[in-house]
Amino acid sequence: MIGRGGAGPKSSTATAATPVDARGRALPKHADPSQPLLVVDDLRTYFELDGATVHAVDGVSFKLQQGEALGIAGESGCGKTTTALSLIRVLPSNARIVSGSVRYFGIDLVPKSAEALRRYRWREISIVFQGAMNALNPVHRLRDQVAEPLMERLNMSESKARKRAGELLELVGIPKQRGSAYPHELSGGMRQRAMIAMALACDPAIVIGDEPTTALDVMIQAQILELLERLRRELGLSLILITHDLSVIAETCDRILVMYAGRVAEEGSVSEVFRHPRHPYTQKLLSAFPNITADRRTLDVIPGSPPDLREPPPGCRFAPRCPFVMPVCSEVVPPEVTFDGVRVACHLYPPGSDGAPAGMLARSSTPEADGGAPSVSTRPAEAPRA
Amino acid sequence: MKIGYLGRRIASALITIALIALINFLLFRAMPGSPERVILGRTPNVTAQILQQTRERWGLDKSLFPDQFVAYVGATVQGDLGFSFIARGQTVTEVLAQRIWPTVILFGLGEIVAIILGLALGAYTGWRRGGPVDYVGNGVSLVLYSTPYFLLGMAFLLVFATTFRWFPTFGMLTSGAQYPGLWERLIDFLAHLALPLATVAFGLVGQYAIVMRSSIVETLSEDYVTTARAMGLREGRILRHHALPNAMLPTVSLIAINLGYVVAGAITVEVVFNWPGLGTLAVTALTSRDYPVLQGVFLLLGISVVLANLVADLIYGALDPRVRT
Amino acid sequence: MTAASVRGTGPRGLGRALGSGTIVRRLLRKPEGLIGVVILTIFIVLAIVPQVFVGPLQTAVTASGHRLEPPSGAHLFGTDELRRDMLNQTVYGARISLVIGFLATLVTVAIGAVIGIVAGFVGGWLDAILMRITDFFLVIPTFVLALILTPIIQELVGSAATEVFGIRMTLIVIVIVIGITSWSSTARIIRSQTLSLRERAFVDRARVIGAGSGHIMRRHILPNVINLIVANAVLTFAGAVLTETTLSFVGLGDPFQPSWGQLLEAARAAGAPGLGAWWYFVPPGAGIVLVVLSFTLVGSALDDLLNPKRGGRR
Repeated sequence: MIGRGGAGPKSSTATAATPVDARGRALPKHADPSQPLLVVDDLRTYFELDGATVHAVDGVSFKLQQGEALGIAGESGCGKTTTALSLIRVLPSNARIVSGSVRYFGIDLVPKSAEALRRYRWREISIVFQGAMNALNPVHRLRDQVAEPLMERLNMSESKARKRAGELLELVGIPKQRGSAYPHELSGGMRQRAMIAMALACDPAIVIGDEPTTALDVMIQAQILELLERLRRELGLSLILITHDLSVIAETCDRILVMYAGRVAEEGSVSEVFRHPRHPYTQKLLSAFPNITADRRTLDVIPGSPPDLREPPPGCRFAPRCPFVMPVCSEVVPPEVTFDGVRVACHLYPPGSDGAPAGMLARSSTPEADGGAPSVSTRPAEAPRA
Repeated sequence: MKIGYLGRRIASALITIALIALINFLLFRAMPGSPERVILGRTPNVTAQILQQTRERWGLDKSLFPDQFVAYVGATVQGDLGFSFIARGQTVTEVLAQRIWPTVILFGLGEIVAIILGLALGAYTGWRRGGPVDYVGNGVSLVLYSTPYFLLGMAFLLVFATTFRWFPTFGMLTSGAQYPGLWERLIDFLAHLALPLATVAFGLVGQYAIVMRSSIVETLSEDYVTTARAMGLREGRILRHHALPNAMLPTVSLIAINLGYVVAGAITVEVVFNWPGLGTLAVTALTSRDYPVLQGVFLLLGISVVLANLVADLIYGALDPRVRT
Repeated sequence: MTAASVRGTGPRGLGRALGSGTIVRRLLRKPEGLIGVVILTIFIVLAIVPQVFVGPLQTAVTASGHRLEPPSGAHLFGTDELRRDMLNQTVYGARISLVIGFLATLVTVAIGAVIGIVAGFVGGWLDAILMRITDFFLVIPTFVLALILTPIIQELVGSAATEVFGIRMTLIVIVIVIGITSWSSTARIIRSQTLSLRERAFVDRARVIGAGSGHIMRRHILPNVINLIVANAVLTFAGAVLTETTLSFVGLGDPFQPSWGQLLEAARAAGAPGLGAWWYFVPPGAGIVLVVLSFTLVGSALDDLLNPKRGGRR
């Protein structure tokens, strides 16, 4: 299991003057440290594409506690990256958040103006982008790229920023001297490390990893994951890890959020969801998921393809591919029901079937053995542990 | 490693220049009339002795390849391009030499102004893509791009010289004028330069703005720009520090590639304003079928364009760390 | 690949499937495409039947006005120094300019497509040599080369009075010279597309069943690059009209079949800008700008729609 050294008890002793979080970081002015770190509620982000509206993220809710690591899984195109980018609104010009809220220590970021939101970027929430080949600017030296947020966002002097950049590079395992290299002179793993150093520069509360290990070979993937884990432990970071590789989530995260076609399919603690996947989509994912030590494959091995998000099917979006499809599935959107701390949106688990109300958010604190086991028997996948 | 990049560029430039020389040589053969006549032009008092000397000099009695070609290349390298048909007794080199500076000043300054204005306009419209400034700026760029240079020149002439009488209509200096000092001479020169310079600059600006705009638009969709946005950098900083340095790269190569094409415009602008440069020289030579001069202009402009491309390659190398390795 | 993840993978890739109907319909749906097509249609109609609108081409003998008359009810666009009606001259100029532009485009694109397909398909040393030559033509000042080539070829082919398809020899030479000097960018574009086609399965299949190179290039490569050739041809047309105009302006046109460039040359020679006779050069000038602009708009709209490298949207 993942160590959680130093990271957060929920209680906090907020002083009236400057709020601080569990790690003692100073928070933005109106932040309420007694509130959860991040609460996303009914988030909807749509794209305008050639006159059509693409419902890329369509009513996603989740919560992130301090020190927690949440994995968001799903096939490519399911809206997991758009969800993450919506948090600090780094979206393409044809995308907009239509509704919902993103509360950071109680502050809703959605209604904020671009200039106001800018202050939250990187200092509160930073992103480690995928691959890091193009995420790093090809014409600038590594050290300058790591130093840039320090100078621009923390107003550090150039010499101090460069020194700190060197330290950050060392922290992620890049020798200081390599700081004078350009991105193309580094291996994929090194670039990914540099990207992580950049993301840590302003000591953010939340680091989002957007497929941080994709496009790297297995050995390097393991090293990067180890690095992320170590940093989380040492720095008490809260992590959102977006990946289509379930083994990454199994190794690194506390909780998992499975998305399908812009909606949450299932969400719960990693141990519970991997042991008892309830949503047929999660079951499919896990059964398609090979033995961890043998081979890492992507998730995209389920027959059929995700629905067209310009005209999403009414009812459950997984219905066309679901082996347990019922008449109700293609008509009514399944409500999100909480079950043993696991939130599922599936008609196989109607609200009240086990007495649990249809809540917005799962409380991931009370795991219980096999309470309302689904009536459908499935081949349970083993929860893989590295 | 840097030598490798530089070396390849220089080798490529040399090959291009060699091919220009070869084309010139072949054209020289294809020309109507005997080669002796072509070389001597309308030089007066051609005696049998001079004729014989010419034949030996150029190896006209020997085979086309390699002897005549070698003789031609040898002479060209020494700056011997033969005689002008029209300017009696003057060598092509002498004729060209008188015309180089006016063109260098007009076209060089025009390029600089156009590059600065064009890149600024292109970067700004690309940055504000879809906004009113973009529509107007892009529209103006497209119209300028579609307008032949000389047409623009004629319009400027009509408006600013004929109608408003702000500027003189032709030449580089007022003919027959006496200047009390160098200063007055310079003022007169600048007055004559203004309209042709504006024509060259405006003629080019549309093209450069269009190139820069599309380059910026492309760069803005790159991942590192998203990174910079996520970093919470100010928009101006993202443009200057992240988008521009990358957007400059394709722009530099496109500007360099288009130089050869742009020369056509320079020629016609000179004709409209009677500017005594290589362009008017080329057109006069064309009218009187003065082939040696035409070829000289081609060779000179060709080499200049190739060298300018080489400079552009070096600038590119300085801007992009990736090609240095 | 990485771009997709940043932009949100969902909506990308769906765009290609959008927009049913033919290319023409999609072109007309773009504002720039529509404007371009409308303007070009007007000029093409003028070029095909000029006599319907302005009667026969006026010469110095049949001229109907006074010398350098400003626009009036009788002469909407005024007259030139030879007393000819400028509206008449401009409308006929459209015919000459567009015909020369069209023929020059055919020659240019044909040379470029053949060189591009052969270089890309055959590869090896032939590709290296052809691309070396292409780069050469891309870099050098081809217009100056055209200045030298035109009179030489005119003297070689002889009598300017001969007509081919009703076009005087002088202008045919200009068509050929434009073709020789402007094919290089077409060749580059077609070559890179051919390179990627060469690796596709259907080419292998054709080869397995024993098809010869010539057959594969004609039957398999050409149909697949034809879209690209069309888009490129439209852009080439704009360049060809400009080049013809410029060549005519420096005195290589034919006064008996005046193109817009030829009219502008006459206007300059007559000192129209200095005399304030704007009506002498504004009509043919506006014609050139509108036609080149329209071809550029339509060409880049088509390029957006047809060029696989652009991914269908910008």
